[in-house]
Amino acid sequence: MSKASQETLLSVGGSYRGYIATRPVRGDRIPHHVQGLVIRDYAQRMNLICPLLPAVEYAMPGCYMMLESVLKEVPATQGVILYSLFMLPERASRRQHMYDRVFAAGGSLHGALENIALWGHEDTGRVEDIFRVNQFAHVKPPADVAAVLDGS
Amino acid sequence: MSKSTGAPSLSVVQNSPTDDAPQSGFTSEAEKELSRKFLEDGHVVVPVEDLGALDRLRDAVASGAAHWLDASTPEDPGALLDSIHARLGPTQVNDMRMSIINGLNTQDWVARDYFSVARKTIESVVGNELAMQRRLNLSVQMPGDDSSVLPVHADVWDGNSPFEVVLWVPLVDCYGTKAMFLLMPKANAQHEANFRRFSDKSVEDLFHAIEPDVIWPEVRYGEAMVFSLSLMHGNRVNFEAGTRWSFNCRFKSLFSPYGDKRLGEFFEPITIRAATRMGMDYTHLEGFDE
Repeated sequence: MSKASQETLLSVGGSYRGYIATRPVRGDRIPHHVQGLVIRDYAQRMNLICPLLPAVEYAMPGCYMMLESVLKEVPATQGVILYSLFMLPERASRRQHMYDRVFAAGGSLHGALENIALWGHEDTGRVEDIFRVNQFAHVKPPADVAAVLDGS
Repeated sequence: MSKSTGAPSLSVVQNSPTDDAPQSGFTSEAEKELSRKFLEDGHVVVPVEDLGALDRLRDAVASGAAHWLDASTPEDPGALLDSIHARLGPTQVNDMRMSIINGLNTQDWVARDYFSVARKTIESVVGNELAMQRRLNLSVQMPGDDSSVLPVHADVWDGNSPFEVVLWVPLVDCYGTKAMFLLMPKANAQHEANFRRFSDKSVEDLFHAIEPDVIWPEVRYGEAMVFSLSLMHGNRVNFEAGTRWSFNCRFKSLFSPYGDKRLGEFFEPITIRAATRMGMDYTHLEGFDE
């Protein structure tokens, strides 16, 4: 990331930074502007200030460079509003490290889609339960109703 | 607490298998009966297991309604809810409903109390390792109000997994059109077999086709209903004298297949057992070569 963009990220004192994805989130591709709407709606409902352009993660699988940048600015910001908590790294130890950094800097993490706030370590157990069960849970979308109507 | 206005409804089944209940195979006779009834009828109506929890929920809703109306805390919460239509009109009821349920859903005790209303029944019908819908829904249906009608549907048509059940808990006595309607599994299957003929018809046409077969389970205050959301159900205009107030919330076995209503967004684990925690954390050993 260029020095100029880093400075832009750092000139955000007192507000939250949104974080959106280009790659699929749990298998779904969500347009950036829709992710932005979900974040703004969450911020409004939670009375959080989030006036800035969100950081957009790069598309490469397993890449968290933008998230790293956003976490680095947390001492200057109040924290991060992710479009979804499922944009956090899949590896539990890496997530834990991120929690540690954000809370140590006095910030908080928010999942707008899930409507879940992590204000401190006491909130992470609940989210980690969701991550862990999700690793093993089977997803089988309901049958396509249109196919039933078509008789196929 | 409001008193029920008559004898318990006939469809109520006992839901409290005790440790000394007769055993046959791996489940008690009481659990077998509950399962048989659920499979045959698609629903069970049971006495609530924790009346104190239900009272707390009902009282919190009534206090919320009184607050919204700028009235004092009601001495008889059930009576206030039942007669709320005398105090506001259909155009205001949704704002009041949203205000109440949004407030309740921010409080941790609400989900815990709701589960305790029918914990044993849920565990018998679904399992004891569970995911619960993260937000309770609240329905308010005033007499004659056609704006609160929920057309016939099955939740599986809206992305829910057929492995889910709904725990439906009224805060007032519900009967007749003040209750909800439901198709039982056999009738549901018969109508689904002909479903394609509705492809160019309306939901109202569908209701008229199933109407002769729907049932209207009577569920009084102090009772709860668990039903399968793969069955067609809904409500109609309430032509009874009182307003219907009811909660609904979905439960599923933690590891049964999820539909579009996902873990984290819609569901949350509520009872993860120790062995499962250990299993999820286990990593197989690696590093040996042939």
